[in-house]
Amino acid sequence: MTTSHRYSKTRTTFGLWQLIQLAPALLVVVGLFGGALALALLQSLGFAPWFGINEFPNPNYFLALWSEPDFWRSLWLTLYYGLASTVVGLVISVPLALTFERRFRGSKTLLALTRLPLMIPYTVGIALALLMLGNGGILSRLAAGLGLITDPGEFPRVLQTHWGWGVIAVYVWKQVPFMTLALLAVLMGIGQGTREAARILGASQVQVFWRITLPQLMPGVVSASLICFAFNVGAFEAPFILGGGHPETLPVLAWRYFNDANYTYQLQGMAVIVSLILVSGSILVGYLAIVRRFERVRGKAP
Amino acid sequence: MQNLKKMGWSAALLTALLSAGSTHAMSDDEFRNEFLAGSMAWSEVESRAQEEGTVNFYYWGGSDIINLWIDQVAKPALAERGVTLNPVRISATKDTVDVIIAEIASGKGSGEGSVDMVWVNGENFFTLKQQGALWGSFAHKLPNSANFEWDETDPRSLLNLRDFGTPTEAMEMPWSGEQYVCAVNRAHVTQSETPATFADLKAYLEQNPGKFTYVKPPHYLGNTFVQSVLYAHNPEGSGADPFQNSLEDLGVERLATLITPGFEYLKELDPLLLGGPQGNPRYPESSSELDNLFLNSEVHFNCKFGLYGVHTGLITGTYPERAEEMIFPKGNMIKNKNYLAVPLNSPNPAAALVAINYFSSVEAQASMMAQAGMPAGVDMWTLSAADQARITEAAPPHYGVTQAELDANIAPDTNASLVDVIEGTWLEVIERGSNKPIKQVVADVVAGLN
Amino acid sequence: MTTQGLRRLSVGQRLFVLAVLAFTVGPFAPLLIQSFAFRWAWPDLMPSVWWFEQRQISPFPLAWDYVLSPTSQVLEATINTVGIGVAVMVVCLIICLPAARVLARGHFRGKRRLEFVFSLPLLVPEAAIGIALLMIFIGLGISGTYPGVIAVHLIPTVPYMLRMLTSVYQGLDAGYEDCGRVLGANEWQVLTRITLPLLLPGVLAGALFTFLVSTNLFLLTFFIGQGKIVTLPTLLFSQISGGAMGATAAGIALIASIPGLILLVLSDRLIREEAFALGIGDT
Repeated sequence: MTTSHRYSKTRTTFGLWQLIQLAPALLVVVGLFGGALALALLQSLGFAPWFGINEFPNPNYFLALWSEPDFWRSLWLTLYYGLASTVVGLVISVPLALTFERRFRGSKTLLALTRLPLMIPYTVGIALALLMLGNGGILSRLAAGLGLITDPGEFPRVLQTHWGWGVIAVYVWKQVPFMTLALLAVLMGIGQGTREAARILGASQVQVFWRITLPQLMPGVVSASLICFAFNVGAFEAPFILGGGHPETLPVLAWRYFNDANYTYQLQGMAVIVSLILVSGSILVGYLAIVRRFERVRGKAP
Repeated sequence: MQNLKKMGWSAALLTALLSAGSTHAMSDDEFRNEFLAGSMAWSEVESRAQEEGTVNFYYWGGSDIINLWIDQVAKPALAERGVTLNPVRISATKDTVDVIIAEIASGKGSGEGSVDMVWVNGENFFTLKQQGALWGSFAHKLPNSANFEWDETDPRSLLNLRDFGTPTEAMEMPWSGEQYVCAVNRAHVTQSETPATFADLKAYLEQNPGKFTYVKPPHYLGNTFVQSVLYAHNPEGSGADPFQNSLEDLGVERLATLITPGFEYLKELDPLLLGGPQGNPRYPESSSELDNLFLNSEVHFNCKFGLYGVHTGLITGTYPERAEEMIFPKGNMIKNKNYLAVPLNSPNPAAALVAINYFSSVEAQASMMAQAGMPAGVDMWTLSAADQARITEAAPPHYGVTQAELDANIAPDTNASLVDVIEGTWLEVIERGSNKPIKQVVADVVAGLN
Repeated sequence: MTTQGLRRLSVGQRLFVLAVLAFTVGPFAPLLIQSFAFRWAWPDLMPSVWWFEQRQISPFPLAWDYVLSPTSQVLEATINTVGIGVAVMVVCLIICLPAARVLARGHFRGKRRLEFVFSLPLLVPEAAIGIALLMIFIGLGISGTYPGVIAVHLIPTVPYMLRMLTSVYQGLDAGYEDCGRVLGANEWQVLTRITLPLLLPGVLAGALFTFLVSTNLFLLTFFIGQGKIVTLPTLLFSQISGGAMGATAAGIALIASIPGLILLVLSDRLIREEAFALGIGDT
């Protein structure tokens, strides 16, 4: 964000009045959100006096977790779902945003329709996936109607299996409208001038897309994919219902630990959570760093 | 400024919420001690229940017809007794067990919790009891305890005194008695093809690969299937008997010997199950998932706790039209009960007692059988002839088998201490496909439990 | 800006838009059918027995009869969802308006870092904070209460609202406010006559978006509500968590979609695309 504040000519001091105005928002973000993060970290290191456990700092919860091959399988599964659906979402959203950039007959209604999943809870998306994608679902029945299969067992299994496309389909369903909206906002901000100029100067459509459109879209792509990736990695309900069971994605694993009657497992669950934050955090930071470098190479960033 | 006011307002609300305490003449502790000591008349409990007013009943809310029965029958009946039944529908009883334990751990003791009454059995009861999170031995002190057999010398009392081998010590009241029954889809399976033993089942699956599966352990429905396999393959030929002992009494070695043939069978069955022909056997995670597979002809059988499961499935449209019950596995159909318990920190214990007393009345039991398809939990021989007739008349119909056939093939549940080991062994041998000898796996699992 | 106006789509583009629509909106057709079905098994493309055929002989309410009966808790869940949504929207606005003003107008050291801190909740997985928050809220005694659920809904909504309002404030020239003051308006008049009307489109967009996020939230409600506070997403979750769909679940899924549908129409009427995308279009 490089906004020039043309109206604030003097550098205002950060006074008590500003602090008071910021306080409620800080209370939410630093108090609640930060407090939860701090508690997760403390607990994962063995600080839980309410259970009579205080061995801070005890790295054993992490060490025990990280030495289990199942944890790594869970981690890969989590990252796979997060990454695959973000990439698929982008592959659909970029052309969709470009299609809707200029008005055409019915574009307003059609755009509103594509936006529908954004307005509707994830759980509805999961319900739709259960209805459509299962071996006894609508797609399987259509395949049977076309004579492609004669038994539901022959339909490819996409739900309740590992690496299944069911979970990804729900993420993509929900996030394509979000990404498209973010990209449209960027497209509207930059206008079509540069692209038209390039076309007039003889660039091909492919050249225009890779050299001009995509770089101009990058801020939207980056922010939309960051938010979607973070969400996908932390999502619970889709892998819980549509996933293949053990080994499960990290949020589900953490929930199972937390839910275990043996409450000392809660500390293990916190270690799962902190690991999840560490991994997704470092991926996000790495991603941002690559984008910044890319921008600098292109001479765009300050 | 507005925001500060808002915060002040919510802080005031918060304090109001936190300080809303009990206002009874007698404290919750005193009430508990007096009731458990037996020095309190039932009418006193009833009047205290009316003072308390509400009972928060936490139960698995996954069945529409049970929900309807609670709302349409139990709620008005309790309202007549001056108690408002507040049903809290949960998707897993374990969540509620955790809430109770977490509350107690955070110092919310007697009368300060949020759960008054919970529908439990097996491992969840075991956990609550082990954590000292139960209210006390109340069950045999309720007026309607007369509808149950409590005499230890009578072997028929076992289901009231032991819950998966854990002594109930009257800390929970039997509610419903269930039996593990398999349904068969007659659109695909003829009478003569119907398996009666596990060997028959395997033979059927060799002809029709992929047309059977069972719910995945550690879900109790999956555990139960595995247990019946183990009973049937008991190398000593004594069926369920040795599985009544605790792990300590039985010993790890003996347990491993007992369960080895059963697990060999499960291993052989694995590639013949749903998805097996495609190289990826699939075990559903819940009974509703299995119901759905059964409806869609993905499998031809559906095994679960459901004495009236076929009837319920047919009237709710969740079973295929030609579903019937079958006697399988012969002589090893596991029967158990499920119960109602009161947590230690119940804020309305008297109302909970009144509600539980109602749930165990002949009136409630007959109507829940008829309307919700839940088998009665009361013991028939303790009832008057008129009450017996009432229960018998209320029973939903069976399809393809008779009640007498079902009664003739029952087996008891497995001791809770063994269930953990069997669960762990299943995960290692079937889910992870370990090739280690079963003896070794059992030893590892037991070592891991301690 | 040249050739503004209607244009025709190529065949490929038309097919593409059609495919996307089939993917996003198409599945609602079977959902509607399922909600009216009694028995609908593979490989039937239409139910073999419909709900209204079974309705007369069924001893208890089926499908929509059940969904619309008090036992299904649909009404309670709808009231909770909308009520919590409105409360979150109001609290969020009250919290964010002054903060956004400082962030937009103030020019102090560490501002960018502060902005980053404020966007962190968007980047940290919900599941990660939900469990720890539950522990804190149990300690505070507000788990399973409305204040608890409203408070937790602020975490994912405040960042969006702040970003939207900050961009709105940045677009608002402080000169207008100064002008008003010079001409003798007091602070209250400046706020109500100048600032708020100018802010209104952005505020509206932010408020609707906050309402939307709150009504769609499942995980945090599920954790903090502890089953005691039922909203449409948690109600639907408990219906489908077994991994199967029936008529009741389909009916509840349709009802859970209604607030979003209304909002879709409203946002189309009230908000310009740009305003809606303000909060999410930029890093």
